[in-house]
Amino acid sequence: MEESRVYLKKMATGQLVEASLLDEVIDKHLAMWKASWQTAMQTHCAGRALRDKPEDHHWNWTQKADYWRPLLGYHSFAITCEGDLQGLMLVSDFESARVQAQFGKPIVYVKFLACAPWNRPEFQTPPRYRGVGTVMVAAAVELSWNLRYRGRIGLHSLPKAEPFYRDTCKMTELGKDAAHQNLTYYEMTNTQAEEFRLTH
Amino acid sequence: MKLDRPKDWYERRIALEGDLEIGAGVPPGYQAQAVAAPAAKPVETRIAFGTFVELWRRSRGWDSVKLAEEAGVSPEEVLEIERYPQSEPEPSAVYKLAQVFKVPAKILLELAGLVAPRTPNLRQAAVRFAARSESVAALNDRERDALEAFVAAITETAGKHE
Repeated sequence: MEESRVYLKKMATGQLVEASLLDEVIDKHLAMWKASWQTAMQTHCAGRALRDKPEDHHWNWTQKADYWRPLLGYHSFAITCEGDLQGLMLVSDFESARVQAQFGKPIVYVKFLACAPWNRPEFQTPPRYRGVGTVMVAAAVELSWNLRYRGRIGLHSLPKAEPFYRDTCKMTELGKDAAHQNLTYYEMTNTQAEEFRLTH
Repeated sequence: MKLDRPKDWYERRIALEGDLEIGAGVPPGYQAQAVAAPAAKPVETRIAFGTFVELWRRSRGWDSVKLAEEAGVSPEEVLEIERYPQSEPEPSAVYKLAQVFKVPAKILLELAGLVAPRTPNLRQAAVRFAARSESVAALNDRERDALEAFVAAITETAGKHE
């Protein structure tokens, strides 16, 4: 497991703080998820109608880990900051691109991506940290480069997150996918990935 | 995997992220399936179409003129189909060739990129066919003569313009 130093924005101070990106979700992270993340989610959802619950309220990361751990082709990521878990992501490396310009070429497919409840405006104002999405997309793109996929990634966005992938990450929108509960599919091309990685 | 970005990269990118939600993914156990595949690039299947026309013609010992006469098309059309996958053949020419070849016209039209792709895996099969049909044989006498004559002609032409 490799650890990278990354940064999140602590909203209480408006300053960037150091955080860690781990390229493997381990039991310690799952325990953190269960102890604080899942509890916060359950508390938030209690008594709410389904439409008012977060779109990922039913995700059980322990069960997900049981699913991906015995399989090849999956990569998991966790972000920790100031002693707590801030985000989780699972990607696979065996899906193919759908954008015409890169159709059929291998991509890193983001299977699940979520940030901790306390980092979401719907849970608390202001959220504790921002930047989890940015770090995770950067990690997916970086993995894609390492695999010689030239930065190509793809994902199905949860409905409320579409502006992030479309407007912020500048990914190509390919419309609603009937095979994936009508979630909108987005893909980042090599050119878009280079743009995303630009350091200036 | 190491992620190495300068601090100001995070500053800039996180500002762009703002308060937007970031979730992605579908319920557990869901198997990814392809959405409607983008239309195949006509040029890919046209290479196979041209290869097919050429091999069919050569299998009968016909030259392009003979095939053109049999099909009732111009020799230029045959040449274009065989050699220039970027150009779109006339549907009528494809129909006439299909009659000569005794194969379904709708498949040839699809290979020629004149109708929307509808035959499953046709593109993959066509590309495989074209790749496997690529000649690896040595030139025969006739081809060598033609090549040498052509090289001589272009050398002479080039010499005149120097």
